[in-house]
Amino acid sequence: MEALMLEYPWLDELLMGFMGLTWQHVVMWIISGLLIYLAVKKDYEPNLLLPIGFGALLANIPHSSAISQVVGEEGFLWVLYKGGIANELFPILIFIAIGAMCDFTPLIQRPIVMLFAAAAQFGIFGTAVLAAMLGFSFENAASIGIIGAADGPTTIYVASRFAQDLLGPLSVAAYSYMSLVPIIQPPVIKALTTPQERRIRMGYQEGKPISKTTLFLFPVMVVLIAGIVAPISVALIGSLMFGNILKVSGVVDNLSECAQNELSNLVTLLLGVTIGGTMSGENFLTMQVAMIMGLGAIAFIFDTAGGVLFAKLLNLFRTEKINPMIGACGISAFPMSGRVIAKMALQEDHTNFIIQHAIGVNVAGQIASVVAGGIVLALIPALAK
Amino acid sequence: MGTEVMKAFTMMAIALPTMFLVIVGFIIATTLLRKAFPATDEDTDES
Repeated sequence: MEALMLEYPWLDELLMGFMGLTWQHVVMWIISGLLIYLAVKKDYEPNLLLPIGFGALLANIPHSSAISQVVGEEGFLWVLYKGGIANELFPILIFIAIGAMCDFTPLIQRPIVMLFAAAAQFGIFGTAVLAAMLGFSFENAASIGIIGAADGPTTIYVASRFAQDLLGPLSVAAYSYMSLVPIIQPPVIKALTTPQERRIRMGYQEGKPISKTTLFLFPVMVVLIAGIVAPISVALIGSLMFGNILKVSGVVDNLSECAQNELSNLVTLLLGVTIGGTMSGENFLTMQVAMIMGLGAIAFIFDTAGGVLFAKLLNLFRTEKINPMIGACGISAFPMSGRVIAKMALQEDHTNFIIQHAIGVNVAGQIASVVAGGIVLALIPALAK
Repeated sequence: MGTEVMKAFTMMAIALPTMFLVIVGFIIATTLLRKAFPATDEDTDES
């Protein structure tokens, strides 16, 4: 073969794809196919999993020009990685889009629900401890724990800063488990609550009207408080609240619409395919990645348990009991978690409507996850010294 | 117990209480905000 190559040098160019093929490439094709299948056939986070799956396919063709890092011949996925992920730009832009989509009214009407959201961030820290016990470095363990924020952009933001080698698997784990909330949360909730507790009624509460000024000042207030506690989180929470102020100001509807649609769609597309591009076989098919996928599921289980147990703890001191299932909605997977819990309540008692409360906690989860991300961002460099 | 595990435990011990403190700060500030700027008839009409 080598003699042939020497005789006909053009053969090398034609056969380099076949010659470079390894079993890792083939396994990654299957994984790419699985992600695309989940997106297309099962509707699991298709906006992310389809581009990620295809990006992974592009990254796992031997000598792929899409991920070339050769100076002067850089592949487009590498260019996007350097220009959008390594410098944390894409997650920030996604946060602007999410902020423009968020309606914090239920949260402002009942701010107390933010406590459940704080408790539901337990998964981040419990998982980080477990990951460290499994031998991950502290920076990597904390980045793995962030999967428990149930918030893709926060996971990508933290990983791109402290665990760039694990960016692909962390992102895939975060988005996969977010779409698996209807499968992960119900058994955990059932294991931690009695049927009587799941039947607790919470009654409809007339939402008090919120003034436009309050809606407008709320994002400013959140940025000021979170920013002063953890200045490193300003980019993260600031972009989320910037998107929200575009929406609630009422004077830049065109910008708000742009953030919710064009910006969101464009950056999601680029983010997904770029993350897929980081999933080369040699990086992805490792024991570390297998452990990350397992730890991701544990993070969601810990989150759910944290929220439910916190609600049960509050019930010990309250005369008017809370349905402990709403504690589980304190994660950032909005509105899926709120809907799942409301549905579970209806399954226990078809006249028990707790969706109003569940969605309120779920909205709080969106803020709490970013705040938790900010605190972790501040603590990693301080503790890693 | 390894250093990395200790760091992870320390992060949990610092971050969880901090998280609750920040959230309590949000709750107080949000309540004050609502009291300072109650909804007017104009707000109610538009919503």
